[in-house]
Amino acid sequence: MATAKSGAVVRVDFAFKRELAEKIEGNLASFCYQCGACVGDCPAATYTDDFNPREIMLKVLYGLGEELIGSDSLLWKCTNCYNCAERCPQDVKPVEVIISMKNMMADRGIYPEGVEKVIETFETTGRTVPMSSAIDKQRARFGLPPLPPVPMEEIRALIEPAPAKGEE
Amino acid sequence: MERFAFFPGCLVPARYPAMEFAIRQSLPKLGIEIVDLEGTSCCPDPIYFKSKDKMAWLSVAARNLCLAEEQGVDLFTNCSGCTATLSETWHLLHEDEKLRDRVNERLARIGKEWKGTSRIRHIATLVRDVVGYEAIRETVIRPLEGLQVSIHYGCHLLKPSRIMKVDDPNDPSMMEELVRALGAEPVRHRKWHLCCGKACTDENLPNNMMRDLLTTVRDTDAEVLCLICPTCFSQFDHGQYRIAKKFEEDFHTPPVYYFQLLAYAQGVEYTNLGFERQRFKPECLQRFSVQEPAEV
Repeated sequence: MATAKSGAVVRVDFAFKRELAEKIEGNLASFCYQCGACVGDCPAATYTDDFNPREIMLKVLYGLGEELIGSDSLLWKCTNCYNCAERCPQDVKPVEVIISMKNMMADRGIYPEGVEKVIETFETTGRTVPMSSAIDKQRARFGLPPLPPVPMEEIRALIEPAPAKGEE
Repeated sequence: MERFAFFPGCLVPARYPAMEFAIRQSLPKLGIEIVDLEGTSCCPDPIYFKSKDKMAWLSVAARNLCLAEEQGVDLFTNCSGCTATLSETWHLLHEDEKLRDRVNERLARIGKEWKGTSRIRHIATLVRDVVGYEAIRETVIRPLEGLQVSIHYGCHLLKPSRIMKVDDPNDPSMMEELVRALGAEPVRHRKWHLCCGKACTDENLPNNMMRDLLTTVRDTDAEVLCLICPTCFSQFDHGQYRIAKKFEEDFHTPPVYYFQLLAYAQGVEYTNLGFERQRFKPECLQRFSVQEPAEV
């Protein structure tokens, strides 16, 4: 790791760590003792040269998160397979820490294009595959009724962030 | 008949209605009554929307669970992604009181409250636990005797095992048994435990992973590849075609969603099951015929 060579001074960025700890299950990395059990079974570590869940958790411990949540973030290589959570003897759930950091990226407006598109489809239609007459025609072939509409006013009410203080 | 709420999700009803048709054909024969829920949304998906805002993701998922609670029934899913979202939501809200309160404050905006009274089952787990392998076998009138079936579990049916509590993620046997109940012969490919790669936004990674995976599927000489997740299915149908072309490899194992295979074994005609829409069609299934019922 370029930023944490032996002898080099590492300044822990507590602001980053506090922000991450606010996310659901974001603070689990604190329990990581760097054993590396997550690495051997990680498809992204096997099939890329730069993705290593142990190193990612180390950067989180140092608070070097800004290296992880930039616009070219390697976190998007995570396959979300949960092998790391399965292997971790400390219940760190690296995959959940990674998703929490993706939440931090979203707060900064950083998403890969494909990801943003799926999110937008969900937020406007309540589905990841929007309704269409072509779909309803296919469904009719199998004797199935058209897709029912999603009550979007309820979905919008739920995804609205909580007011700053007091109300929630 | 035992009653269960059907949570259809997005992919199956919109992209693969043949799978929904097969489910609606096969479950009543197994003594399960399907309760349709009004007003369900996307689970929401455990990859993209969860990446934006876990709080909003949990709240929408909890709303979907409330719909089943209002009907007083447990719920089943037909997609491993939906299973992951809804099971994880139930687990987190059950374990963490503060989080439950925060989510319920949001649900109060729409006059709902999550109580935790409806549990979540993947449809494969539902038929294993509520119906049982032997009772499935009894509904088979077109035994798939000798059919070689490779199996891909995918990730989110089994993991994280402390939440899913479905089977041993290091050596599962559930799908093998489900396939045997149809009279077919399960075969395990060497990379059965690998992820399908559909959920990551990188391009090379899933391509290389799928190439490895499909090589081991081809090595088994299986006639079909059986799946229980529509996301894995798309990766093994059009995805398999794409990988075969990209690497100039001869990959051609037709993927089949388990409940289409079950409906077929229960007597539904091949031509009614929508197989012609697949890139790789499981034409090998057509050699099996409905057996006359044994004398009563």
